Amino acid sequence: MNITLVAGPPGIGKTTWINQFLSTSKQPLFYLCPAAGTEAVDRLRVGYHFPEVTVVEDTQAAALLMNLPDQAQIYIELGFHLDLAALPFNQLPCRKVAIVPPELAQLTEQSEWHDWADELVAGNKIQVPHPNCFPETRRMPLTGQVFDPPSLDELLTEITGGAYGQVIRLKGIFEMPDGQAFDIDFVEGLPGIEYTELKLPRSLKGRPTRPSSLEVVGYDFQQKTMAEALGVSCLSDELIAQYQRQYRQQYKTTDLTNNAEENVA
Amino acid sequence: MKWAILSGIEGNLTAYEAVLKDLRQLRQPVTELYILGDVIGLSGNNLKNNNLQDDSLQNDNEAVIRRLRHPGVGQLKPQVCVGWWEEQCFSLHGLSGLPDAPELMAAVGGDGVKALWDSVSRKSVQWLRSQHFGFYELDCLLIHGSMASYADELTPETPAIELCDRLIRADANHLFCGRSGRTFECWVNPNQLHSTVTTLDGPQPTQDQSKTPRRIVGVGSVGRTPGQATYTLYSPGSNQLSFRTVNYGQAKKGKAKGFGFP
Amino acid sequence: MKLAVISCIHGNAEALDAVLADIDTQRAEEIYCLGDLVGYGPYPNEVVEKIRSLAIPSCQGCWDEDIVDGLNACECSYPSQLAEYRGRLAHEWTDREIHPEVREYLATLPLTLKKDNLCFVHGSPNSQHEYLLPSMDGFAALERVLSADADVLFCGHTHVPYERKLENAALSVKVGTAESGDRAQQLQEQQFQVPLKRVINAGSVGEPRHGRPNATYVIYNTDTAEVTFREVTYNYEKTCQAIVEKGLPPIFAWRLAKGMEFAERADDPSHVCER
Repeated sequence: MNITLVAGPPGIGKTTWINQFLSTSKQPLFYLCPAAGTEAVDRLRVGYHFPEVTVVEDTQAAALLMNLPDQAQIYIELGFHLDLAALPFNQLPCRKVAIVPPELAQLTEQSEWHDWADELVAGNKIQVPHPNCFPETRRMPLTGQVFDPPSLDELLTEITGGAYGQVIRLKGIFEMPDGQAFDIDFVEGLPGIEYTELKLPRSLKGRPTRPSSLEVVGYDFQQKTMAEALGVSCLSDELIAQYQRQYRQQYKTTDLTNNAEENVA
Repeated sequence: MKWAILSGIEGNLTAYEAVLKDLRQLRQPVTELYILGDVIGLSGNNLKNNNLQDDSLQNDNEAVIRRLRHPGVGQLKPQVCVGWWEEQCFSLHGLSGLPDAPELMAAVGGDGVKALWDSVSRKSVQWLRSQHFGFYELDCLLIHGSMASYADELTPETPAIELCDRLIRADANHLFCGRSGRTFECWVNPNQLHSTVTTLDGPQPTQDQSKTPRRIVGVGSVGRTPGQATYTLYSPGSNQLSFRTVNYGQAKKGKAKGFGFP
Repeated sequence: MKLAVISCIHGNAEALDAVLADIDTQRAEEIYCLGDLVGYGPYPNEVVEKIRSLAIPSCQGCWDEDIVDGLNACECSYPSQLAEYRGRLAHEWTDREIHPEVREYLATLPLTLKKDNLCFVHGSPNSQHEYLLPSMDGFAALERVLSADADVLFCGHTHVPYERKLENAALSVKVGTAESGDRAQQLQEQQFQVPLKRVINAGSVGEPRHGRPNATYVIYNTDTAEVTFREVTYNYEKTCQAIVEKGLPPIFAWRLAKGMEFAERADDPSHVCER
């Protein structure tokens, strides 16, 4: 069994770094994201992008680590809020990788990551939050919600532009009216908001049951106003049903029905 | 593949039957039957017959709708979109944004409004409401008026730039429409236009906006002219277009009481 | 002669004052306004009173219409559900604040103004709600100018100023003469040529969407056909503060400061609402 611990500041590219191994490995793969909660976006993303990877819940972690097959590859992503010096995993025989901004990727530099890691990897060119100015993480569960796409666009522009507090990181899984889901990612200092369509079966029968959620990392959030705007950007039962009817039909015919016309407008 | 494209039955069942008969006699059979709106109207025997106790004067709007919904075994199932008359009907029944059908009132007066109201059941209105807005098939848009409006009456006399605009809005190479009731074929060739936009950032590069020729086809009217129905045949594969005229005998009693829309 | 054309003030009195002062420095002899005097901003009454007292001829915009007729813009006027929700909040707030005589004045505004070969509209000659975006097909834009029977069509509504020259337009129509019979025959060709036409968008005084908070408008010289875009700085923070103090949604202030205020925009800009 081969355990890799991955740490680094928010937005540095921990998940991206892990993903390269998840997509190529032929060994049984396991992914943990300790103390992040079951609806953590990182956890959902790995599950959605790499269905062959086992995403391990915190409660099962101990039992699992005892009983893994020899050739198992385990990736443990450590949230920036965890105290690296006090990790229970540190006792395990493992490879400790810290992903840091390129200018810090020298072993001679000083930081929490340098003290802890065996290996330094150059990640995104971002500003590392000052240790005294620790950012907060807000997670908003979105399971069952379907978004009006143009509203979501507007809202993400606002959120990442700082309309509801300073955001250094945003990631989320969002359901769309055509039954598809998107993985959406923003890192302050990197250009644009990245949209990745998830390769999942279309959910066109009522509200989707697969989990989705949004996480923002930053400072001085007006969470209530943000949650309200999110709510207004979600579709009602009636609209979801209308869209789904329309999309189900669209896959059968290209006719422009009265109904479709109303919906498109 | 061969399409028959009809419009403007306007409640004239006799005319529609005559066209169906004509279709059956074609050497190459039709594979799709499109009806571009105005299936109801006041060109049939739509008399206020409830008090007349005369079964021979049937309500043609209902009869036409029945015929469309149940074409019979082995016959083509028509694909129907809504037209001007259907929109008037929706307005009368409070199913559109505009209540009380002022356009209908202006066109046929109070008697006509009442005749239309009396001749289409609520159930049939619901069925009409569930019909299509138009059809996009291959590089064709089939619609009653145009994308600008169901009331848009395009003819060869319509200003060229307006025809051009309707083709742009249609976003198709061939626009089949039925509002005018006429059969015509109009090729519009927007062969030159230079557009230069200047913004706060200064002048942008000039763009040549010319386009390849596109076509508007008036598909005729089945029921508007008593005794003569016109419709269109189109083969998308060979791009062959033809207009058909069907002369038929008048229905027995007092056909076409003169509510034909101009 | 120099004309100043202003549009989409949206209750932003601060911006209007700054623009009027700038128009003085430009020595424009006449001012035309393309509507949307109210909506979103904190001073709808003051803005209308100012336009009235200066006797500036104005078209009716879609927001003015809604204040007169009640909110009847269909949801298609909005780019998103979120924008629609906020638009409704802004409408309701304005509807409460507006004075009866201001409402009456808005009701008298015409949809179109004409002066010689110039035509002034809010959205397009078709509708107060139609967006004439600079990316719109050139022939479609030409059709709008021709339908207004003008050489220059001034419009607003998009909140981003531009000038568009449509030159050397030529189109031909070939008509099949077969009114009946088996096939269309004898196609006759007719040629049409259209001389230079212009679409000029005046931008927005009170609710810019070009990425900066400054007010925009245009100066048009009727002798030389020269168009000058004006971008005027003003104390937008004062407007932002008033937005919050007067109980309008604070997000309006944020967007105003970023120069990205909502211009409601349908997915299909040429979509004309029939409601």
